[in-house]
Amino acid sequence: MKIKLPVLPLVFATLLTSVPAYAHHSFAAEFDGTKPTRLVGKITRVEWTNPHSYFYVDIVDAKGHSSNWGCEGAGPGALSRRGWKKGDLKIGDTIVVDGYRAKDGSNLIDARRVTFPDGRTVYGGSPGDGGPGDNGTDQGALPGANKKS
Amino acid sequence: MAQPLLQHFCQILYDSPFGTSVRESDYAFSVIESVHVLSITLLVGSISILDLRMLGLSLREIPVTRVARSVLPLTWAGFGVMFVSGFLLFWAEAAKSYTNPAFRVKVVLLLLVGLNPLIFHTTIYRRVAEWERDHRSPWRARVAACVSLLLWGSIIVAGRAIAYF
Repeated sequence: MKIKLPVLPLVFATLLTSVPAYAHHSFAAEFDGTKPTRLVGKITRVEWTNPHSYFYVDIVDAKGHSSNWGCEGAGPGALSRRGWKKGDLKIGDTIVVDGYRAKDGSNLIDARRVTFPDGRTVYGGSPGDGGPGDNGTDQGALPGANKKS
Repeated sequence: MAQPLLQHFCQILYDSPFGTSVRESDYAFSVIESVHVLSITLLVGSISILDLRMLGLSLREIPVTRVARSVLPLTWAGFGVMFVSGFLLFWAEAAKSYTNPAFRVKVVLLLLVGLNPLIFHTTIYRRVAEWERDHRSPWRARVAACVSLLLWGSIIVAGRAIAYF
């Protein structure tokens, strides 16, 4: 049987090019569970999107350098069931995000716990993503998460 | 900023009220995703039966045309639902899909997989009456069957890979 498909190896080689994470995947696919990170900063952008939501904060490090970080959270459905509604985060709000850094070293973390300006905390992981705090339920089991203000 | 026309079109879809409502929905997005996956199983599952028949790996005693008549309506039904549900997902994510390398690979593979039956039906399948009872179909038909299995498999892999780029 003669099958000539030189196209396939070529097209799959292009799969190796790296761009930021966009669609639905597990925690370990993109993030490093050994790199816990806390970000405190001002909201610059919110993407209330499926299958993961994203929000962006401007932070200032100890040396006074400022940088913009992306935070990935669960999709709108899962966040809504935890009481986090679209529009709860506003541009300019100062929030605290506890999460884990992206494996590729970019300014992106997986937001596992988000603390709103009023002190309320919400679990940010996707149900069943296998990341820290995930116990397969909506609410997760992360210490300190899902506290009313 | 200059933008390719195709990217501009993707951005218009992405920004449209419908695309936005699916993207920001609590449940619609995941329901459409599930329908998309189910329709792929119908499409690929049914066409695989015909491909395996031509390779002589299943239903060898049944003429190829009878297998084709029985599975192709299911294949087309699966294709219709797959295309519509897939387009709705694309609509919701178009601006991101445009830059996603796995999505680009998938689109190219989809074009190729459409070409395959076009060539098959205008060439070797025209004389199917001569070989429909052969346990193993002629080599041209077997190549078409292999290409079909390989391309559909790759499309599923590329589709899943969209999530990781």
